[in-house]
Amino acid sequence: MVAVEAFSSEWAQLFKDEVNKSAVYRQAAKGWKWRVGLVVEAEPDRNFPESRGIVMDLFEGEARDIAVGTADEARACDFVITAPYSRWKQVAMKELDATRGMLQGKLKLKGDLPTIVRYTKASQELTECTTRVPVAWPDE
Amino acid sequence: MHDQGAGRLARRVSAVEYADGDDASAFGQMLGGLIEANVESRREKRADFEKLRARVGVFVTDIEEGVTLDFQDGHLVVHNGLQPGRDLTIRADAGTVMQLSSVNIGFAGMPNYLDSTGREVVAKMLRGKLKIEGLLGNLTTLNQVTRLFSVQGSADQEAATDRSSP
Repeated sequence: MVAVEAFSSEWAQLFKDEVNKSAVYRQAAKGWKWRVGLVVEAEPDRNFPESRGIVMDLFEGEARDIAVGTADEARACDFVITAPYSRWKQVAMKELDATRGMLQGKLKLKGDLPTIVRYTKASQELTECTTRVPVAWPDE
Repeated sequence: MHDQGAGRLARRVSAVEYADGDDASAFGQMLGGLIEANVESRREKRADFEKLRARVGVFVTDIEEGVTLDFQDGHLVVHNGLQPGRDLTIRADAGTVMQLSSVNIGFAGMPNYLDSTGREVVAKMLRGKLKIEGLLGNLTTLNQVTRLFSVQGSADQEAATDRSSP
């Protein structure tokens, strides 16, 4: 599979495909019905000059839509996870476990905590799905 | 909703404070926030919170970070780091700490260690991946704390909810 630009529309489409292929996610996310926003903060020195938002319409174990938009669009979601570009890259490259990252404050989470904790397995699988998407990183 | 119970709830919910203020660790804020949300939303958890007096340490081994939860009968002070005078100390990796919050609560408010989540937790204890210091003599406290951490409702409560559903 050809590598796609990180956090681009092509990346979002491949990410969505991976989520919908995952039986683990489908099982773990039963009952989930909220939109999740990922805010990827700009790091101009790493050739990622503008913040982007990933808006994920996740419903009952299915990714109905995953789209790239503005950071503000992502911030308007029910659950929002915010981190600089390089942190997200670490997550996607399995250098940073997302759960650990949240406990350390490296990934900032906004939303109802008990709900997020109830779906820890689903969020871990979402992270796994990002690692399966071949990415061309702008700082490499 | 301005009944007496709601007023009492509002006072209790605001009773989670952070000893380190703005410097409170992300982990401390997460645990404090989780307990606060649980106490706010579940009557049985609020009852536990109001009668719990204990100092509980939680240390996450893979990020080498700990907090001390000082429960004071309806008031919780969250400290960065492991502070002296703890009744219980839980040591586990990040995933296991999160898993503790998913332990189901069975009938009579007892944590259910027989279902799949409970069995995984027990297995981690047996393998030494989850360590609980001070367990002897503090089993009741552990059960209360587990109920406060757990994002799952009690079986009694779920059954009552099911019965009242249209």
